Amino acid sequence: MDWEPKIVAFLCNWCSYAGADLAGVSRIQYPPNIRVVRVPCSGRINPLFILSALRHGADGVLTSG
Amino acid sequence: MTANKPGQVGAVLVVGAGIAGIQASLDLAESGYYVYLVEKSPAIGGTMPMLDKTFPTNDCSMCILSPKLVECGRHLNIETITNAVLEDLQGEPGHFKATIVKKARYVDPEKCTGCGSCAEECPMETKDEFNQGLGERKAIYKLYAQAYPNAYAIDKDLCIECGACVDACQAGAIDHDMADETVEVEVGSVILSPGFQKFDASALEYYGYGRYANVLTSLEFERILSASGPFGGHLVRPSDKKEPQRIAWIQCVGSRNCKIEHGYCSSVCCMYAIKEAVIAKEHAGHPLDATIFFMDMRTYGKDFEKYYERAKKESGVNFIRSRIYDVNEAKDGSGNLTIRYANEDGSISNAEFDLVILSVGLEPSADVVELANKLNIQLNQFNFADVPALTGVGTSRPGVYVAGAFSGPRDIPETVMQASAAASDSSVILSAARGSLVKKKEYPPEKDVTGEIPRIGVFVCHCGINIGSVVNVPEVVAYAQKLPGVSLAEEKLYACSQDTAGQIREAIEKYNLNRIVVASCSPRTHEPLFQETLREAGLNSNLFEMANIRDQCSWVHMNEPEKATAKAKDLVKMAVYKASLLQPIQSVSLGMNHDALVIGGGVSGMTAAVSLAKQGYKVHLVEKEPQLGGTARRIHTGMRGEDVQAFLGDLIAQVNGNELIKVYTGTEVADVNGFVGNFVTTLSNGEEIQHGVAIIATGAEEYKPAEYLYGQNDRVMSLLDIEGALSAGDARVSGAKNFVFIQCVGSRDDERPYCSRICCTKSVKLALKIKEANPKAQVYVLYRDIRTYGFFEEMYREARRKGVIFIRYAVDNKPVVEADGEKVKVTVTDHVLGVPVIIKADVVGLAAAIVPPAGNAKLSKFFKVPLNQEGFFLEAHMKLRPVDFGTDGVFMCGLAHGPKNLEENISQAKAAVARACTVLAKESIAVEGKCAFVDKRKCVACGVCESVCPSKAVSVDMKEKVAVVNEALCKGCGACASSCRSGAINIKGCTNEQIVAMINAL
Amino acid sequence: MPELAGAIQEAARKLLEEKKVDVVIGFAPGTLPLRSTPCFVHRPEDAAGLTWNRSCENNLANYLRKRTDKVAVVAKGCDSRSIIELIKENQINRENLVIIGVPCAGMIDRKKVDRRLAGKELLAAEESGDSIVLKGDGFTETIPVNELLHDSCLSCRHPNPALYDLLVGELLPEKGGDDFADVAAFEAKAPAERRAILTEEFSRCIRCYACRQACPMCYCEECFVDCSTPQWIGKSSDARDNMLFQAVRVLHSAGRCADCGACERACPMGLSLRNLTRKMVKDVQELFGYEAGANLEDKPALADFKAEDPQPFLIEE
Repeated sequence: MDWEPKIVAFLCNWCSYAGADLAGVSRIQYPPNIRVVRVPCSGRINPLFILSALRHGADGVLTSG
Repeated sequence: MTANKPGQVGAVLVVGAGIAGIQASLDLAESGYYVYLVEKSPAIGGTMPMLDKTFPTNDCSMCILSPKLVECGRHLNIETITNAVLEDLQGEPGHFKATIVKKARYVDPEKCTGCGSCAEECPMETKDEFNQGLGERKAIYKLYAQAYPNAYAIDKDLCIECGACVDACQAGAIDHDMADETVEVEVGSVILSPGFQKFDASALEYYGYGRYANVLTSLEFERILSASGPFGGHLVRPSDKKEPQRIAWIQCVGSRNCKIEHGYCSSVCCMYAIKEAVIAKEHAGHPLDATIFFMDMRTYGKDFEKYYERAKKESGVNFIRSRIYDVNEAKDGSGNLTIRYANEDGSISNAEFDLVILSVGLEPSADVVELANKLNIQLNQFNFADVPALTGVGTSRPGVYVAGAFSGPRDIPETVMQASAAASDSSVILSAARGSLVKKKEYPPEKDVTGEIPRIGVFVCHCGINIGSVVNVPEVVAYAQKLPGVSLAEEKLYACSQDTAGQIREAIEKYNLNRIVVASCSPRTHEPLFQETLREAGLNSNLFEMANIRDQCSWVHMNEPEKATAKAKDLVKMAVYKASLLQPIQSVSLGMNHDALVIGGGVSGMTAAVSLAKQGYKVHLVEKEPQLGGTARRIHTGMRGEDVQAFLGDLIAQVNGNELIKVYTGTEVADVNGFVGNFVTTLSNGEEIQHGVAIIATGAEEYKPAEYLYGQNDRVMSLLDIEGALSAGDARVSGAKNFVFIQCVGSRDDERPYCSRICCTKSVKLALKIKEANPKAQVYVLYRDIRTYGFFEEMYREARRKGVIFIRYAVDNKPVVEADGEKVKVTVTDHVLGVPVIIKADVVGLAAAIVPPAGNAKLSKFFKVPLNQEGFFLEAHMKLRPVDFGTDGVFMCGLAHGPKNLEENISQAKAAVARACTVLAKESIAVEGKCAFVDKRKCVACGVCESVCPSKAVSVDMKEKVAVVNEALCKGCGACASSCRSGAINIKGCTNEQIVAMINAL
Repeated sequence: MPELAGAIQEAARKLLEEKKVDVVIGFAPGTLPLRSTPCFVHRPEDAAGLTWNRSCENNLANYLRKRTDKVAVVAKGCDSRSIIELIKENQINRENLVIIGVPCAGMIDRKKVDRRLAGKELLAAEESGDSIVLKGDGFTETIPVNELLHDSCLSCRHPNPALYDLLVGELLPEKGGDDFADVAAFEAKAPAERRAILTEEFSRCIRCYACRQACPMCYCEECFVDCSTPQWIGKSSDARDNMLFQAVRVLHSAGRCADCGACERACPMGLSLRNLTRKMVKDVQELFGYEAGANLEDKPALADFKAEDPQPFLIEE
């Protein structure tokens, strides 16, 4: 199967986004299907963002904070 | 007093950049002093970055530390000098000359981008000290991934000068001919926070460390647990990478051991061992057997006892009270280990484990001892700094202060408190020079871009080969050029280099750019740098957006260049779409009052008031009792034999004699309005006080026991009662022959599930005092765990040596106290013999709990600050913000925060002052401006924003029927914007529209 | 029923006469059988126009926002629960409101009546014990009330007003907790099946927003569907956008929906909207132990945070 999911991630600047940076610094390899939106806090993630991402064709949404 | 002496230097030298040094530097720099922060290693951070999680909240250590690293590293008024040592210190308080030797780093941190190409080429490997030797590093290395400065250094002992790194570095940062450099700086005071080293467990052969592969130290285990450690957080034995099924922790390795002159308790090991056991059980995919071998469980800190109980009951960690004989490796080649130990009843047992962790103690390093000797700082018998009594952070040398484990083993919050306290004491002697040396950057006036159509400049970075070797940068540039609103797209070798900054400024000018997008590394590290460039070019710094195509693209998709390029294009597109909607954000400035309100006139409150007044701030000191002094009025001798009444008398005189302090006795706080810089407090006498900050120091009370005949038999007394009776020569105690102290009365039970921390030491101190007065008196201490942490362990040892008898009782079999004629009969089951022992006591001393005053609840509502379940005030963060609240401008200290001894309260009071001074030192309250804002047209005043705001920054104006944001309090988290159904409230710089634009870009 | 109507009229007349309120909001008979209409009475002498019967189905909480006058309102269980939430949301000034509570035994669903009559025209209807007698040209049918009640009334657990200043009639026995059997049955279906059902259902939505207008809790000045900066959703009727609209509408009702059924009654396409709202009501109850409109004291579920709140959406380490 060559279907490639499109995943949108909303990451808190202070923890998860930093974690994603750390993955980079540590050269941890993962699939390139994810597009990250940095937010000031996971509290900033309006449920509508999630629905909006899905509406615009995202196959999955990751919120992390 | 040196306060008004001319020629004071408004700068402070901080030696050691662990969490203590960082905190002290930040507090000082934010209070108007220039700071030289000297660190021996190539990066700041100290021990904390090595830890996986932190107790008692299980927060990730690096996650909570890294914002402080960045803040400290980037602070305009903190000059971080790494790879450096303090060589000499001359002069006196207010005016020191410090000689600092900067060891050659062989890499210019200004040029190094931290990309790591050099290390990839370097042929020389060695054990990585940061990972406790469990992993490897190269001869050119960065101390740890998130290190600041984000720059490499060369280990010349290992380097063969092959030149591979020079060839690999496209930034030209490496210079093998760099030489050591000596600099001299003038400072007004010095803070020593050089930290500690772990005890070398190989010195105690019977534990097998260094001989058996599967005996590790606790710090090695932290690295194993850490996701950024050598095994990526996978719980394995380093020797054979097997997942351990049974892990043992052995406590007090190198602590409480007189034979090797480590008689003190290292204070932190009980908690870190429990934490490691709990986290290990969480990490293991299987039911892990985690067992802790201990003598006394010393979980005496705030919320520690609950953590211990949860570890037992919920996580299923085993605790075995024991003495260890030795550890032996199995003969079957499994690498497993057998621990031979004595149980409490004297019987001997053996138990096998896959992995044994030694909870190693803390000790001063030889370097630190050398430094102290050089600076003429007096050390105690264990080579820790000897702190003059009741100063919290003083040393034998005036103008030199200590913070952190240099003055004794302590955990992170106490270290942070001390750091702030040392900053406060420094500030007290330098207040005349406050603001004299701080730097302020000037920028050209800001261009008005209102109404302009977006003209976006996009700069795509190669980062040497870090991005360019994976992502097709020219393709991304060509793609960006075609995106709507983009006027210019260019590629850069290093977007962050000095010359590129110049090129960006020129491009802004030439193409009249009004929005900038940089596609390079992480905004977390580099956004401030580029924003600076914008400001220098006259653009508002918020007209900037980054696309992270390195850390979150080229580095993590190294083998998929095409997909990485496609992702980079998407990330750039998202950034461009957001950028076209960016608006300038103006920082907000609000006026403020520079007076302080201190609530509580005990030692903590008075210490705070005096410190503030000495720094020139007016203080209103409110005390509910008719006289000052608090609980200390009932204490006669301090834990180290100090004359507390003399100290108290002096402190009260200082308060009364300082014209900046206005004392209100017999008065309480009746109402509080306003916010940081602008509080208006109404007192019970009707008076209204305007103040900028508040320090809550409401103290605590001694629990009135309902048990053990207290209040029914006058031979049963509390510890404070006995202290009073001893001092007054009360016949009940002076003629008594048999004393019994019962510990944990009202503490560590269901109703008060916390340890009152000071009672063990206090009981031991009273026992010694009794023995001193009458060596023939018999003293029995009935306890659950003796918690004489730190150097107090020496007193415990002395008490045993002098014949004080310690009998442990079980919590489900408490002592029984009965009246028996002239005497009191105490029955307790002896822990060794297992049979009841009857003591006919003349005096029974109850170590009654420390309980919070009922008035805390009212203050908690007034200032919108929380209490914990027990009724003590709850700090903003248990580790790194121990005297702060979530509510800005409100601080706390002393027993209001939780049980502590006098010395610790004094230290905390000074810490609260330092934190308060970071607010008071500002002319006005300046906020960045990335705040919530309300669209009045859309707002329906439903109040959801008000109820979800963690900073209490939003409220509904019921007259106007609209939500109002207090920008001084808003932290810009956006919880309001996410909860608003009407889309009426948004965050500047992160609006719904901007986020949706990014989503639409996909 | 006529006794209740009389009592309401009496209460209204008195409140107006004594100038305790400026207006009484209740129901007046409609022009067709089994129809009532919201009615605003300003003069004591007009109180006689008020009625109470099995067709007073509208949620009168809808008329209480943004008022500056003193108002009395006739409130059933569901109306009162919406009122409670609106008070918590600063939309109603409690001091200016008199609630005339009326216990409610359920309202009749005209669509069910129409189906039973299969096209015959209804000319008159009267209640007789537990039945309704339907009369028309040449027919008389007697049908048990329970067979004609709205689904929302059949599943209603709270026949009595949760908050009132005056009570008309006698309190009815409260029913036990909702078992949400309907929601559980839907949840038990496979995701693909649920998706198919919802897609099918909401492809019929014509985006007339009658559901939104009928809902007492939908009162934003600008609904997210009408917002253009940002544009959250397409404006035309597209199956995916319809789903998004309904999903967000329901999300916005979390912890606020009293399950009065107004949305479903208002839908001209007969979409089963309560299928969604009830799922949300159930989730909020199960997750946060919160029931919208139960009392004035509980903090709204989504405006409160407790450390022990469940977080089933979190992926554990």
